[in-house]
Amino acid sequence: MKSLFTIKSGGAASWAMRLAVAAVLAALMLWVPTRGSDSLIEVCTTAFTLMAAALSLNLLLGYAGQISLGHSAFFGIGTYTTAVMVTRWGWSPFHTLPVAFVLAFVVGVLVSLPALRIKGVYLALVTLALGMVFPQFIKWKKLSWLTGGAKGINDTGFKFTKDNPTYEIFGWNPWGNLRGQNVKPFYFWVGAIIVLVVYLICRGVVKSRVGRSLVAIRDNSTAAAVMGVNLPVTKGIVFGLSAAMCALPGSLSAIRTGTVTADTQLLTVAGSITFLVIMVVGGAGSLWGPIIGAAVYQFIIERTGGWTEPDAIPALFRPFFGWSKTAPGGGLFAIALILLMFVAPLGLVGLWRQHSVRLCRVVPKPAGTTTISVMAAAPAAVDETHTA
Amino acid sequence: MTLLDVEDVTMRFGGIVALDGLSFSIEEGHICGLIGPNGAGKTTMFNVVSRIYQPTLGSVRFRGEELLTVPAHAIARLGIARTFQNLALFPTMTLLENVMVGAHSQGRVGFGKAISRISAAGDNRRTRDDAGDLLHELGLGHLAFVPAAGLPFGTLKRLEIARALAARPSFLLLDEPAAGLPHGEVDELGHTISTIRDQFNLTVLLVEHHMSMVMSISDRVVVMEFGRKIAEGTPSEVQNNEKVIEAYLGTTT
Repeated sequence: MKSLFTIKSGGAASWAMRLAVAAVLAALMLWVPTRGSDSLIEVCTTAFTLMAAALSLNLLLGYAGQISLGHSAFFGIGTYTTAVMVTRWGWSPFHTLPVAFVLAFVVGVLVSLPALRIKGVYLALVTLALGMVFPQFIKWKKLSWLTGGAKGINDTGFKFTKDNPTYEIFGWNPWGNLRGQNVKPFYFWVGAIIVLVVYLICRGVVKSRVGRSLVAIRDNSTAAAVMGVNLPVTKGIVFGLSAAMCALPGSLSAIRTGTVTADTQLLTVAGSITFLVIMVVGGAGSLWGPIIGAAVYQFIIERTGGWTEPDAIPALFRPFFGWSKTAPGGGLFAIALILLMFVAPLGLVGLWRQHSVRLCRVVPKPAGTTTISVMAAAPAAVDETHTA
Repeated sequence: MTLLDVEDVTMRFGGIVALDGLSFSIEEGHICGLIGPNGAGKTTMFNVVSRIYQPTLGSVRFRGEELLTVPAHAIARLGIARTFQNLALFPTMTLLENVMVGAHSQGRVGFGKAISRISAAGDNRRTRDDAGDLLHELGLGHLAFVPAAGLPFGTLKRLEIARALAARPSFLLLDEPAAGLPHGEVDELGHTISTIRDQFNLTVLLVEHHMSMVMSISDRVVVMEFGRKIAEGTPSEVQNNEKVIEAYLGTTT
């Protein structure tokens, strides 16, 4: 395939492109919380929550190939750890994040123990059971002294008092007005930082010897074991790590909303499915897939959120959704998912990779210290068409 | 010096006896051919040595140490690498990445180092360069960034050898490396195997059906039939052994 530009990986052009992307993202990160509307900030923060959860699932399912339909439970462990520690033991909300991380890691490793022996649809069922049991467990009467039962827990959020002063840099307040009513930019920042941390963890793992061994387990676990990959330990740790990362956005949602109940959508199996669909639409097994998937998902949900009356629906879509009394965002996203499976099984990122080659091809750095074939053994005639 | 010592290994799958009291040993630095009709138990033997199967009875010693108590993933670190008869590559990875996974036992970067980036970049660079060199040596350098899925069988067979060599083994098990190759390439592959044996100081256990190749490069040949060893010796001894001729061609009576 002919491409318009060819740039070298690690070369000046490639770094310039990376810098440009980083600059655009940084500008957005500054513009939204300081200049954007309250609702935009809110939408972005929700998207961050979904991004972090989908990223964590992606490490487990997209890279290591271990399916989990129980990530809503790990998300919920984060939510409830924060809620319980803040309201019952008086912890500062942000100090509960590492606790939630560690607790979810331990639970994740424990769940992985039976999961080490099973794969595919059986693993899906075991983790599905976890996702279904979690809300019931939280609502269990004998635990209501801790979890508040079906009523949930109130006042779990961050208290903005004189002890939590605002910061100003040359008269400009990056956190938003914490003392007043407008605390939304603050949560935006926390959400962005959580996504960044989860992304960096995933990136570090993926682009290393461990990450290669995860993909090896996904592609052919017998061969991976022969290459020296310790299957039980690697699967156990990646399960725990994925669970731990998923607890972080869970904690954030408790801090942000101030009220938690076990019936919140993201804490039930529906949450697991949401994370899964976001990951698949964005692109499983790619670092940017879940981020893009969550952004698209939240955009669609937001745009169609008001489509509950025929008059509120744009004329083009009215014949399709006019009959519905509920917002069709989830359904639209499902249709997008089905269409994508035909057009781009590897999600939006896969679609981009497939077509961006026409515009710009990135040539990888040559590997190896020599470029001369020592044995000069001519392999079977293989031409470059296989790159397509 | 004896590198591998297989003693009285019996492997039963339900009622089927795949290996029946098999014993043989391999001298260090030799290429040992393992031949026999289909179903003789050659691949089962491979899977026992690479710890995919746990034999019912017997012992396998590598450099004098019992191998059957070692977990499968620790084999590579001991210096044992293998290829697979029907290809067990990582199809979504490029050829380069496949070989990089082959070097897994050589690395020390775990989850902690990967997340904290401690010594991860250097590890990646070294692994990548080594893998690139190996691909060049096996004549696959120009395909380094091509995904493994969909390449010709012969190319992938070569890739399996490159991936196995990435583990810096002292003992290499090749399971029918020439299967599916056109005739001209079989001799070339035989040449490649002897060359890598010398270059990497390998001991090779070779299962192969191309007799001309086995006989020309092997130092010793072990012949199996129905899970038992029926003959052992130098290629010329084995070729004139009556039991071997009987197993392959049948008797005239």
